[in-house]
Amino acid sequence: MKVGFIGLGVMGRPMALHLHAAGHELHVWARRPQSAEGLPATVCATPAELGRACAVVFTVITSSADVEAVALGPDGLIEGMAPGSVLVDCSTIAPDVARRIAGRLAEKGIDMLDAPVSGGAQGAIAATLAIMAGGDAAVLERVRPLLDCLGQRIVHVGPNGAGQVAKACNQMIMVAAIQAAAEAMRLAAASGVDCGKVRQALAGGSAASRVLDVMGERMVRRDFAAGIEARLHHKDYGLVLQAARESGVPLPLTAVVGQQLNALMAQGWGQDDTASLLRVLELT
Amino acid sequence: MKIGFLGLGIMGRPMALNLLKGGHELTVWARRPESMQPLLDAGATGAASPADAARGAELLISMVADAPDVAEVMRAALPGAAPGLVAVDMSTIAPAAARRIGGELAAAGVDFVDAPVSGGEVGAIAGTLSIMAGGSAAAFAKAQPAFACMGKNIVHVGDAGAGQVAKAANQIVTGMGVLAVAEAYAFAAKNGVDAGKVREALLGGFAYSKILENHGQRMLDRNFKPGFKSWMHEKDLNIVMQTAHELGLCLPGSAATAQMFNAMVGSGLGEEDSIAVLKLLEKLSGQSA
Repeated sequence: MKVGFIGLGVMGRPMALHLHAAGHELHVWARRPQSAEGLPATVCATPAELGRACAVVFTVITSSADVEAVALGPDGLIEGMAPGSVLVDCSTIAPDVARRIAGRLAEKGIDMLDAPVSGGAQGAIAATLAIMAGGDAAVLERVRPLLDCLGQRIVHVGPNGAGQVAKACNQMIMVAAIQAAAEAMRLAAASGVDCGKVRQALAGGSAASRVLDVMGERMVRRDFAAGIEARLHHKDYGLVLQAARESGVPLPLTAVVGQQLNALMAQGWGQDDTASLLRVLELT
Repeated sequence: MKIGFLGLGIMGRPMALNLLKGGHELTVWARRPESMQPLLDAGATGAASPADAARGAELLISMVADAPDVAEVMRAALPGAAPGLVAVDMSTIAPAAARRIGGELAAAGVDFVDAPVSGGEVGAIAGTLSIMAGGSAAAFAKAQPAFACMGKNIVHVGDAGAGQVAKAANQIVTGMGVLAVAEAYAFAAKNGVDAGKVREALLGGFAYSKILENHGQRMLDRNFKPGFKSWMHEKDLNIVMQTAHELGLCLPGSAATAQMFNAMVGSGLGEEDSIAVLKLLEKLSGQSA
């Protein structure tokens, strides 16, 4: 199948390569042409041109505004994609923006899934991403063979926007858990106790978690090179708190963790790993 | 001075009336024509559009709900703007939005002052508002006679946007202040102590504040009529939190307070005064009023 891919960053690049490895004919567009270098793909001049060539298009882009521009803007996908073709947006964006894009594409008979992913660069490379999909169930079934190339756990959450809501919940829990791990490490260290031993002890009990496992280990090793860049979690927290506001739902813990992320950004650690929340605690 | 005035709500109407009382020649416009009537009765001229209100004016003042409204009415006014017009927005909007609108107006040759106010409806009626202004010294000087009719404590804080920064800071202090007083009352009540006596005791010490005095009294009276509606305070705190997010600024107290106001709006207290945060605290701690 001819598959389009836009957004060839840390996540997008390995995902695109998996689709190619599964025998699909890859078409790509990149804002910075050097991002597409070395990929076994046809490089298109605009998203519209890519859309014309492909039955399914994937996007993995950072911000709501960028996804909207690529999908609906001048020379956007909407100008090229044929009725019945599918846009699978794997970016993490605001649920209402996902719904708006789906609505505009639907007017032209183009299907869309919001299909944000969790699992980080590691999950993208290993093709073990969790994929949370919002949109029509029948559309998901049509593209499921492609998603199977990218991840292991593919859940149809609900209609358009539902995938992004699930992703927002994922980010809330994950970053709060990172903050909790950081606070535990900080308390242990301040009490003169070996952080690594504490983490090891906790790993067998009720506080065990993937975050304590992966991020906790980074904290113990003081390895703050990004797995996931903290600035992306910071961006996601902005989306979550905005959505909470629109729904009139209080999220007191999320709000406080959001402030720790603001402090992290102020220290210039946005491109480091979110395990740097430990370093924020160490500022005081 | 010839002044155009856009937006005649709870705040705008008494502010415009005070300009008339101050002897200024006023042309008013409001989205709902019936809002204009009290002003027309008091001697103002009615305008058919924002442009109509701007025509021939030296000063154009807007007092509307949110940033998109400010941008919309100011844009609509531009065709009527004469050279040398100074546009003054007294609404509470994000500093970044004020700078953007100011830039847009400057490109069209109109000087801009952001001049949000504090003091509520009572202050607007009495002409005792605090006015915090951002913009050039020349533009501020031109608006000063109008400000003097509407307010008492009038401060030129800095360049465009600085007024809104001061207002956001004001909302941080008042938001947390109202929550602090409500928490103190809930604390006293749950301990079986009379909140009114606690207030009286605190008024003499370092915990004294205007909020403890005024809002604190209304909490004791359980008078939750606005005043300042909690959904508007929530909107203002959202400006604070958005700006903090953009700047990388850690504001844990404001963040917790913003969530309480968020919960008020979500649980149907949005139209009540922001002191209704006391009701929310009582509900959370299972206290009966």
